Amino acid sequence: MDPLLLGAIVGLLTIVVLFSGVSVALGLLIVSGGFLLVFDGIRSLELLPEILFGKLNNFALLSIPMFIIMGASIASTRAGADLYEALERWMTRVPGGLVISNLGACALFSAMSGSSPATCAAIGKMGIPEMRKRGYPDSVAAGSIAAGGTLGILIPPSVTMIVYGIATETSIGRLFLAGVIPGLHVGGAVYGMVALFDMAIRRHEFAERAQL
Amino acid sequence: MAGHQAGAIAPTGQNPFLRAVAALSTLAGWISAAMIVASVFITCQMIWIRFVMNGNTFWQTEAVIYLMIAATLLGLSYVQRLRGHVNVDLIPLALPRRARKGLAVVTLTLSIIIVAVMVWYGYEFWHVAWARGWTSESVWAIKLWIPYLAVPVGLGLFLLQLIADFVALVLDIDAPFGLEDA
Repeated sequence: MDPLLLGAIVGLLTIVVLFSGVSVALGLLIVSGGFLLVFDGIRSLELLPEILFGKLNNFALLSIPMFIIMGASIASTRAGADLYEALERWMTRVPGGLVISNLGACALFSAMSGSSPATCAAIGKMGIPEMRKRGYPDSVAAGSIAAGGTLGILIPPSVTMIVYGIATETSIGRLFLAGVIPGLHVGGAVYGMVALFDMAIRRHEFAERAQL
Repeated sequence: MAGHQAGAIAPTGQNPFLRAVAALSTLAGWISAAMIVASVFITCQMIWIRFVMNGNTFWQTEAVIYLMIAATLLGLSYVQRLRGHVNVDLIPLALPRRARKGLAVVTLTLSIIIVAVMVWYGYEFWHVAWARGWTSESVWAIKLWIPYLAVPVGLGLFLLQLIADFVALVLDIDAPFGLEDA
Protein backbone atom coordinates (compact mmCIF):
# COMPACT_ATOMS: atom_id res chain seq x y z
CA MET A 1 0.00 0.00 0.00
CA ASP A 2 1.06 3.56 -0.63
CA PRO A 3 2.86 4.78 2.52
CA LEU A 4 1.12 8.14 2.39
CA LEU A 5 -2.33 6.56 2.20
CA LEU A 6 -1.43 4.12 4.95
CA GLY A 7 -0.22 6.98 7.12
CA ALA A 8 -3.45 8.85 6.51
CA ILE A 9 -5.52 5.79 7.46
CA VAL A 10 -3.48 5.22 10.64
CA GLY A 11 -3.78 8.89 11.58
CA LEU A 12 -7.51 9.03 10.96
CA LEU A 13 -8.18 5.79 12.81
CA THR A 14 -6.09 6.97 15.77
CA ILE A 15 -8.19 10.11 16.05
CA VAL A 16 -11.44 8.12 15.82
CA VAL A 17 -10.28 5.65 18.48
CA LEU A 18 -9.00 8.36 20.81
CA PHE A 19 -12.29 10.27 20.62
CA SER A 20 -14.26 7.16 21.59
CA GLY A 21 -13.51 7.70 25.28
CA VAL A 22 -10.96 4.91 25.63
CA SER A 23 -7.90 5.94 27.67
CA VAL A 24 -5.25 7.46 25.42
CA ALA A 25 -2.53 4.92 26.26
CA LEU A 26 -4.82 1.98 25.51
CA GLY A 27 -6.18 3.67 22.41
CA LEU A 28 -2.69 4.00 20.94
CA LEU A 29 -1.97 0.39 21.88
CA ILE A 30 -5.18 -0.78 20.20
CA VAL A 31 -4.39 1.09 16.98
CA SER A 32 -0.77 -0.01 16.79
CA GLY A 33 -1.59 -3.59 17.81
CA GLY A 34 -4.37 -3.74 15.24
CA PHE A 35 -2.16 -2.54 12.40
CA LEU A 36 0.66 -4.88 13.42
CA LEU A 37 -1.80 -7.75 13.34
CA VAL A 38 -3.18 -6.82 9.92
CA PHE A 39 0.11 -6.09 8.17
CA ASP A 40 2.62 -8.33 9.94
CA GLY A 41 0.58 -11.23 11.25
CA ILE A 42 0.00 -12.52 14.73
CA ARG A 43 3.65 -13.35 15.49
CA SER A 44 4.63 -9.68 15.41
CA LEU A 45 2.50 -9.02 18.49
CA GLU A 46 5.07 -11.06 20.38
CA LEU A 47 7.39 -8.07 20.18
CA LEU A 48 5.05 -5.72 22.03
CA PRO A 49 6.24 -6.43 25.62
CA GLU A 50 9.85 -6.33 24.52
CA ILE A 51 9.32 -2.95 22.82
CA LEU A 52 7.48 -1.69 25.90
CA PHE A 53 10.29 -2.66 28.25
CA GLY A 54 13.08 -1.73 25.86
CA LYS A 55 11.75 1.78 25.26
CA LEU A 56 11.20 2.37 28.98
CA ASN A 57 14.66 1.08 29.87
CA ASN A 58 16.34 4.44 29.54
CA PHE A 59 18.98 6.25 31.54
CA ALA A 60 16.97 9.49 31.55
CA LEU A 61 14.33 7.89 33.77
CA LEU A 62 16.73 8.61 36.63
CA SER A 63 15.34 12.13 36.80
CA ILE A 64 11.68 11.13 37.05
CA PRO A 65 11.41 10.04 40.72
CA MET A 66 12.71 13.39 41.97
CA PHE A 67 10.23 15.20 39.73
CA ILE A 68 7.36 13.13 41.05
CA ILE A 69 8.34 13.82 44.65
CA MET A 70 8.74 17.53 43.90
CA GLY A 71 5.34 17.79 42.20
CA ALA A 72 3.59 15.73 44.85
CA SER A 73 5.08 17.65 47.74
CA ILE A 74 4.31 21.06 46.24
CA ALA A 75 0.78 19.99 45.36
CA SER A 76 0.04 18.69 48.84
CA THR A 77 1.42 21.70 50.74
CA ARG A 78 -0.12 25.16 50.98
CA ALA A 79 2.30 26.49 48.36
CA GLY A 80 -0.43 26.66 45.72
CA ALA A 81 -2.85 28.47 48.05
CA ASP A 82 -0.24 31.01 49.17
CA LEU A 83 0.85 31.67 45.62
CA TYR A 84 -2.73 32.19 44.55
CA GLU A 85 -3.43 34.55 47.42
CA ALA A 86 -0.36 36.67 46.69
CA LEU A 87 -1.25 37.03 43.02
CA GLU A 88 -4.86 37.72 43.83
CA ARG A 89 -3.81 40.76 45.90
CA TRP A 90 -1.35 42.04 43.31
CA MET A 91 -3.70 41.69 40.38
CA THR A 92 -7.03 43.01 41.62
CA ARG A 93 -6.82 46.33 39.81
CA VAL A 94 -5.49 45.29 36.41
CA PRO A 95 -7.92 44.63 33.53
CA GLY A 96 -8.94 40.99 33.66
CA GLY A 97 -8.84 40.78 37.44
CA LEU A 98 -8.82 37.31 38.86
CA VAL A 99 -8.48 35.73 35.42
CA ILE A 100 -5.03 37.27 35.22
CA SER A 101 -4.11 36.21 38.74
CA ASN A 102 -5.15 32.64 37.88
CA LEU A 103 -2.92 32.66 34.83
CA GLY A 104 -0.01 34.16 36.74
CA ALA A 105 -0.37 31.61 39.54
CA CYS A 106 -0.46 28.81 36.95
CA ALA A 107 2.69 30.13 35.25
CA LEU A 108 4.61 30.35 38.53
CA PHE A 109 3.35 27.02 39.71
CA SER A 110 4.29 25.33 36.46
CA ALA A 111 7.82 26.66 36.86
CA MET A 112 7.90 24.78 40.15
CA SER A 113 6.11 21.56 39.37
CA GLY A 114 6.63 20.78 35.70
CA SER A 115 3.30 19.13 35.13
CA SER A 116 0.07 20.44 33.61
CA PRO A 117 -2.35 18.26 35.60
CA ALA A 118 -0.60 19.15 38.88
CA THR A 119 -0.79 22.85 37.97
CA CYS A 120 -4.48 22.66 37.12
CA ALA A 121 -5.23 20.70 40.27
CA ALA A 122 -3.28 22.94 42.62
CA ILE A 123 -4.38 26.32 41.26
CA GLY A 124 -7.87 25.20 40.22
CA LYS A 125 -8.63 24.04 43.74
CA MET A 126 -8.22 27.63 44.97
CA GLY A 127 -8.97 29.57 41.81
CA ILE A 128 -12.28 28.15 40.66
CA PRO A 129 -14.20 28.44 43.98
CA GLU A 130 -12.81 31.95 44.50
CA MET A 131 -13.93 33.07 41.04
CA ARG A 132 -17.38 31.55 41.40
CA LYS A 133 -17.78 33.26 44.76
CA ARG A 134 -17.16 36.61 43.10
CA GLY A 135 -19.60 35.94 40.30
CA TYR A 136 -17.34 35.16 37.36
CA PRO A 137 -19.10 32.91 34.81
CA ASP A 138 -18.19 29.21 35.21
CA SER A 139 -16.85 29.08 31.67
CA VAL A 140 -14.39 31.90 32.37
CA ALA A 141 -13.27 30.27 35.63
CA ALA A 142 -12.69 26.87 34.03
CA GLY A 143 -11.15 28.35 30.89
CA SER A 144 -8.57 30.42 32.74
CA ILE A 145 -7.36 27.37 34.67
CA ALA A 146 -7.28 25.20 31.56
CA ALA A 147 -5.34 27.82 29.59
CA GLY A 148 -2.98 28.38 32.52
CA GLY A 149 -2.44 24.65 32.90
CA THR A 150 -1.05 24.36 29.38
CA LEU A 151 1.84 26.53 30.57
CA GLY A 152 2.75 23.65 32.90
CA ILE A 153 4.47 21.64 30.22
CA LEU A 154 5.94 24.62 28.38
CA ILE A 155 7.70 26.40 31.21
CA PRO A 156 10.69 24.34 32.34
CA PRO A 157 11.26 22.11 34.18
CA SER A 158 8.68 19.84 32.66
CA VAL A 159 8.17 16.11 32.99
CA THR A 160 6.57 15.95 29.56
CA MET A 161 9.72 17.37 27.98
CA ILE A 162 11.84 14.72 29.68
CA VAL A 163 9.57 11.99 28.38
CA TYR A 164 9.55 13.58 24.91
CA GLY A 165 13.33 13.88 25.02
CA ILE A 166 13.63 10.20 25.90
CA ALA A 167 11.24 9.11 23.17
CA THR A 168 12.79 11.18 20.39
CA GLU A 169 16.39 11.23 21.66
CA THR A 170 16.46 15.01 21.84
CA SER A 171 18.64 16.88 24.33
CA ILE A 172 16.49 17.51 27.42
CA GLY A 173 18.51 20.59 28.42
CA ARG A 174 17.87 22.13 25.03
CA LEU A 175 14.18 21.23 25.22
CA PHE A 176 13.98 23.05 28.55
CA LEU A 177 15.68 26.12 27.11
CA ALA A 178 13.39 25.98 24.10
CA GLY A 179 10.36 26.07 26.39
CA VAL A 180 11.15 29.35 28.13
CA ILE A 181 10.27 31.83 25.40
CA PRO A 182 7.21 30.00 24.03
CA GLY A 183 6.00 29.60 27.61
CA LEU A 184 6.30 33.30 28.36
CA HIS A 185 4.92 34.09 24.92
CA VAL A 186 1.81 31.96 25.34
CA GLY A 187 1.33 33.29 28.85
CA GLY A 188 1.71 36.87 27.63
CA ALA A 189 -0.62 36.34 24.68
CA VAL A 190 -3.33 34.91 26.93
CA TYR A 191 -2.91 37.79 29.43
CA GLY A 192 -3.18 40.28 26.62
CA MET A 193 -6.28 38.67 25.18
CA VAL A 194 -8.03 38.49 28.53
CA ALA A 195 -7.14 42.10 29.34
CA LEU A 196 -8.38 43.30 25.93
CA PHE A 197 -11.55 41.22 26.19
CA ASP A 198 -12.20 42.67 29.61
CA MET A 199 -11.59 46.27 28.56
CA ALA A 200 -13.34 46.21 25.20
CA ILE A 201 -16.21 43.75 25.58
CA ARG A 202 -16.87 43.26 29.27
CA ARG A 203 -16.22 46.91 30.16
CA HIS A 204 -13.93 46.13 33.10
CA GLU A 205 -16.42 43.70 34.56
CA PHE A 206 -13.70 41.12 35.36
CA ALA A 207 -11.53 43.69 37.10
CA GLU A 208 -14.43 45.06 39.12
CA ARG A 209 -15.53 41.62 40.23
CA ALA A 210 -12.07 41.02 41.65
CA GLN A 211 -12.69 43.78 44.19
CA LEU A 212 -16.05 42.47 45.37
CA MET B 1 1.61 13.03 39.27
CA ALA B 2 -0.32 14.81 41.91
CA GLY B 3 -3.34 15.82 39.87
CA HIS B 4 -5.47 12.71 40.09
CA GLN B 5 -8.23 13.84 42.40
CA ALA B 6 -10.64 14.49 39.52
CA GLY B 7 -13.38 11.93 38.95
CA ALA B 8 -14.80 9.44 41.39
CA ILE B 9 -13.22 6.13 42.31
CA ALA B 10 -14.85 3.23 40.48
CA PRO B 11 -17.72 2.04 42.72
CA THR B 12 -17.72 -1.62 43.76
CA GLY B 13 -21.21 -1.99 45.27
CA GLN B 14 -21.44 -5.14 47.39
CA ASN B 15 -19.98 -7.37 44.69
CA PRO B 16 -17.22 -9.54 46.23
CA PHE B 17 -15.29 -9.88 42.94
CA LEU B 18 -15.21 -6.13 42.40
CA ARG B 19 -14.15 -5.51 45.99
CA ALA B 20 -11.35 -8.08 45.78
CA VAL B 21 -10.03 -6.57 42.54
CA ALA B 22 -10.28 -3.08 43.99
CA ALA B 23 -8.25 -4.18 47.02
CA LEU B 24 -5.62 -5.78 44.78
CA SER B 25 -5.36 -2.65 42.64
CA THR B 26 -5.00 -0.47 45.71
CA LEU B 27 -2.26 -2.74 47.03
CA ALA B 28 -0.48 -2.50 43.68
CA GLY B 29 -0.78 1.28 43.86
CA TRP B 30 0.82 1.30 47.30
CA ILE B 31 3.66 -0.94 46.14
CA SER B 32 4.18 1.30 43.13
CA ALA B 33 4.31 4.39 45.39
CA ALA B 34 6.79 2.63 47.68
CA MET B 35 8.96 1.91 44.63
CA ILE B 36 9.00 5.61 43.70
CA VAL B 37 9.99 6.56 47.26
CA ALA B 38 12.68 3.86 47.28
CA SER B 39 14.10 5.14 44.00
CA VAL B 40 14.23 8.68 45.42
CA PHE B 41 16.36 7.39 48.30
CA ILE B 42 18.56 5.38 45.96
CA THR B 43 19.09 8.47 43.78
CA CYS B 44 20.09 10.50 46.84
CA GLN B 45 22.43 7.75 48.00
CA MET B 46 24.00 7.62 44.54
CA ILE B 47 24.57 11.39 44.49
CA TRP B 48 26.09 11.22 47.99
CA ILE B 49 28.47 8.39 47.07
CA ARG B 50 29.58 9.94 43.80
CA PHE B 51 29.88 13.63 44.56
CA VAL B 52 30.55 13.72 48.27
CA MET B 53 32.39 10.49 49.00
CA ASN B 54 33.97 10.52 45.54
CA GLY B 55 33.27 6.80 45.20
CA ASN B 56 31.94 4.54 42.50
CA THR B 57 28.36 3.50 41.95
CA PHE B 58 27.45 0.47 39.91
CA TRP B 59 23.97 -0.72 40.78
CA GLN B 60 22.04 2.47 41.56
CA THR B 61 21.35 3.70 38.02
CA GLU B 62 19.94 0.40 36.88
CA ALA B 63 18.00 -0.14 40.10
CA VAL B 64 16.28 3.25 39.79
CA ILE B 65 15.38 2.65 36.14
CA TYR B 66 13.94 -0.80 36.85
CA LEU B 67 12.07 0.52 39.89
CA MET B 68 10.54 3.30 37.78
CA ILE B 69 9.46 0.86 35.08
CA ALA B 70 7.97 -1.44 37.71
CA ALA B 71 6.24 1.47 39.42
CA THR B 72 4.71 2.55 36.10
CA LEU B 73 3.46 -0.92 35.23
CA LEU B 74 2.18 -1.77 38.72
CA GLY B 75 0.50 1.61 38.93
CA LEU B 76 -1.63 0.93 35.83
CA SER B 77 -4.39 -0.93 37.66
CA TYR B 78 -4.52 1.54 40.54
CA VAL B 79 -4.79 4.48 38.16
CA GLN B 80 -7.50 2.65 36.21
CA ARG B 81 -9.43 2.21 39.45
CA LEU B 82 -9.13 5.93 40.19
CA ARG B 83 -10.08 6.68 36.55
CA GLY B 84 -6.82 8.56 36.28
CA HIS B 85 -5.94 7.41 32.76
CA VAL B 86 -6.24 10.37 30.43
CA ASN B 87 -9.10 10.03 27.97
CA VAL B 88 -11.18 12.26 25.72
CA ASP B 89 -14.84 12.00 26.71
CA LEU B 90 -16.25 14.44 24.16
CA ILE B 91 -18.22 11.84 22.20
CA PRO B 92 -19.41 9.87 25.27
CA LEU B 93 -20.68 13.14 26.77
CA ALA B 94 -22.64 13.92 23.64
CA LEU B 95 -24.33 10.51 23.45
CA PRO B 96 -27.57 9.51 25.19
CA ARG B 97 -27.14 7.04 28.06
CA ARG B 98 -27.93 3.83 26.18
CA ALA B 99 -25.58 4.58 23.30
CA ARG B 100 -22.94 5.65 25.79
CA LYS B 101 -23.18 2.29 27.50
CA GLY B 102 -22.83 0.52 24.14
CA LEU B 103 -19.73 2.56 23.33
CA ALA B 104 -18.28 1.83 26.78
CA VAL B 105 -18.82 -1.91 26.23
CA VAL B 106 -17.02 -1.74 22.88
CA THR B 107 -14.04 0.29 24.14
CA LEU B 108 -13.65 -1.84 27.28
CA THR B 109 -13.82 -5.05 25.24
CA LEU B 110 -11.13 -3.80 22.87
CA SER B 111 -9.00 -2.70 25.83
CA ILE B 112 -9.39 -6.09 27.50
CA ILE B 113 -8.40 -7.92 24.31
CA ILE B 114 -5.26 -5.86 23.70
CA VAL B 115 -4.17 -6.01 27.34
CA ALA B 116 -4.79 -9.77 27.42
CA VAL B 117 -2.53 -10.12 24.37
CA MET B 118 0.10 -8.04 26.14
CA VAL B 119 -0.18 -10.17 29.29
CA TRP B 120 0.21 -13.37 27.29
CA TYR B 121 3.28 -12.25 25.37
CA GLY B 122 4.57 -10.45 28.46
CA TYR B 123 4.52 -13.77 30.26
CA GLU B 124 6.49 -15.39 27.43
CA PHE B 125 8.93 -12.48 27.47
CA TRP B 126 9.47 -13.00 31.20
CA HIS B 127 9.60 -16.78 30.92
CA VAL B 128 12.37 -16.74 28.31
CA ALA B 129 14.52 -14.50 30.50
CA TRP B 130 13.82 -16.73 33.49
CA ALA B 131 14.41 -20.08 31.79
CA ARG B 132 17.64 -18.98 30.10
CA GLY B 133 18.93 -17.08 33.13
CA TRP B 134 19.56 -13.85 31.23
CA THR B 135 21.45 -11.15 33.08
CA SER B 136 21.81 -7.45 32.28
CA GLU B 137 24.92 -6.28 30.45
CA SER B 138 26.22 -4.08 33.26
CA VAL B 139 28.69 -4.76 36.05
CA TRP B 140 25.78 -5.44 38.36
CA ALA B 141 24.53 -8.22 36.03
CA ILE B 142 21.15 -8.53 37.71
CA LYS B 143 19.01 -11.50 36.63
CA LEU B 144 16.71 -9.94 34.07
CA TRP B 145 13.65 -11.97 35.07
CA ILE B 146 13.30 -9.79 38.17
CA PRO B 147 12.68 -6.49 36.35
CA TYR B 148 10.86 -8.29 33.52
CA LEU B 149 8.40 -9.70 36.05
CA ALA B 150 6.80 -6.25 36.22
CA VAL B 151 5.45 -6.64 32.66
CA PRO B 152 3.20 -9.70 33.17
CA VAL B 153 2.31 -8.82 36.78
CA GLY B 154 1.53 -5.15 36.17
CA LEU B 155 -0.41 -5.79 32.97
CA GLY B 156 -2.14 -8.80 34.58
CA LEU B 157 -3.44 -6.62 37.42
CA PHE B 158 -4.46 -4.01 34.87
CA LEU B 159 -6.36 -6.71 32.96
CA LEU B 160 -8.14 -7.75 36.17
CA GLN B 161 -9.17 -4.17 36.89
CA LEU B 162 -10.41 -3.73 33.31
CA ILE B 163 -12.47 -6.92 33.61
CA ALA B 164 -13.84 -5.67 36.93
CA ASP B 165 -14.81 -2.38 35.26
CA PHE B 166 -16.50 -4.34 32.50
CA VAL B 167 -18.46 -6.41 35.06
CA ALA B 168 -19.43 -3.26 36.96
CA LEU B 169 -20.63 -1.69 33.71
CA VAL B 170 -22.70 -4.71 32.65
CA LEU B 171 -24.23 -5.12 36.12
CA ASP B 172 -25.07 -1.39 36.18
CA ILE B 173 -22.98 -0.86 39.32
CA ASP B 174 -20.96 1.76 37.50
CA ALA B 175 -22.09 4.41 35.01
CA PRO B 176 -20.47 4.16 31.54
CA PHE B 177 -17.14 6.09 31.48
CA GLY B 178 -17.94 7.06 35.08
CA LEU B 179 -20.19 9.83 33.74
CA GLU B 180 -23.33 10.47 35.73
CA ASP B 181 -26.38 11.68 33.84
CA ALA B 182 -26.37 15.42 33.49
